[in-house]
Amino acid sequence: MASSKKMIKYLVITIIVALLITGFINGAIGSSIFGQERFLEKPAIHLPPQPVFPQSVRDHHLGYSDEHKETKNGYGDAHGESHDSAHDGGHDDHAGDNKDAHADEGHHSTPLGLMDFAITNTMISSWFATVVIVLLFVLGARKRAIIPGRFQSLIEIMFEGVLGFASSVLGNDMARRVFPVIATIFFFVLFNAWLALLPFYQFLGFVNESGTIEAHFIRPAGTDLNMPLALALVSFVLVEYWGIKSHGLGYFKKFLAFGKILKGKPSGIIDVFVGLLELISELVRIVSFTFRLFGNMTAGEILVVMVTFLVPFIATQFVFGLELLVGLIQSIIFAGLTLVFISVATSHEEH
Amino acid sequence: MTELGLNIPSLVAYLINFVVLLGILIVFAYKPLISAIDQRAEKIRESLEAADRAQEDADNSRAEIQAQINESRVEAQKILDQARNAADRFREERMEQAQEEAIAFTERAKSDIEAERDSAIRELKESFGELAIDAAEAVVKKSLDADSHKDLINQILEESTSAGGK
Repeated sequence: MASSKKMIKYLVITIIVALLITGFINGAIGSSIFGQERFLEKPAIHLPPQPVFPQSVRDHHLGYSDEHKETKNGYGDAHGESHDSAHDGGHDDHAGDNKDAHADEGHHSTPLGLMDFAITNTMISSWFATVVIVLLFVLGARKRAIIPGRFQSLIEIMFEGVLGFASSVLGNDMARRVFPVIATIFFFVLFNAWLALLPFYQFLGFVNESGTIEAHFIRPAGTDLNMPLALALVSFVLVEYWGIKSHGLGYFKKFLAFGKILKGKPSGIIDVFVGLLELISELVRIVSFTFRLFGNMTAGEILVVMVTFLVPFIATQFVFGLELLVGLIQSIIFAGLTLVFISVATSHEEH
Repeated sequence: MTELGLNIPSLVAYLINFVVLLGILIVFAYKPLISAIDQRAEKIRESLEAADRAQEDADNSRAEIQAQINESRVEAQKILDQARNAADRFREERMEQAQEEAIAFTERAKSDIEAERDSAIRELKESFGELAIDAAEAVVKKSLDADSHKDLINQILEESTSAGGK
């Protein structure tokens, strides 16, 4: 029994090492050392999300002229396609050049205008995450059993985790009031980050004639600046709402602290200045919220893509582990900071 | 900012997405599940209290039963003691009675014997007196004749021995 367990252990280690070596040889580093054909083509990094529907916007975005139009609207299994292209490359000397040219072309794709409407690949991913969350939670809460099953218990553990976290910051009553929004922020960030590690985020896309993905069909929503911004606005509105609700209109005295200077005290100028700083810091939160999540998610996405490019196969698993952690941490930070800001806004500090 | 991907319709889409998700979750997940959790907490609290009460009751009744057992044990002991005393007393009474009876019996027997003896003595005395009187009469009557005198004495003696032999 023990020896067979050991055998399996050695077998697994051997497979992992073999995959690592194979990945290294076939990846970008190995192929440049050994002069081999690369397993994957150089990934194109797009900072702005790519519009996928309607087609005309996508074409404009990708910079296609009309004569290419019929060749690029197939959904592609990029893995299969890239295999094909690698084989093609073996037969055709020009294939490598083509790929690099196309990859460069990707950088020239024009982002959406500020007011242009299109369904972007990040939006699709956020809908996917939304559907997953709704299915999971609504099914989990469907029975409302006093004695819960395993599935309901799992969902309850998640809810109680968030509720307990909120209670530790805000106290029981307040935590229950803000729980829905906080939990939704938390799970939305979390599921968007974690679901992005599913493989079809990488291989579903719109390909050009040489099989390179020009635009992914679905891309982590966190890498779209608008998603963190939307959540940051929700968080901001929530914080201000509770601030006003607990202080009344006096809440704004924190920002417009003219009381002392109007009484003729010259030292009141400091209060005015402090109020101004408070106001700025309140608004800067939106920016910091937005770019924290955006930066983390985008960095994770780029890391996954680049490690896959450099060492395909198994090396990416370690990055996935890291990304699981980052996704959890970011969702906790987003929800936690919102809680802390609510707590600051609702606290009655004496002056 | 558009180079970073800022896009107002996307932003609005995400906001709507969030609000819709929030609404769905509030109605179908948060409220029912949180209320279920609360109900469970309430139920657990009640059950614990009930269990405490039951435990208390059980303790009380156990103590009660124990007290009853002790009480009845004491009572049984008392009854046993009483019975034993009664038996002792009964035995002693019977023994005394038997002794008294025995004494009475011997006394009666003794007095009977005495009475018998007294009557025998008295009878003997009486018969001996008559005999003396008879002898005196005969002596007086037949003083002349020595032979007859002798015969008379023998006769009387004979009579008396036959009477005394009785």
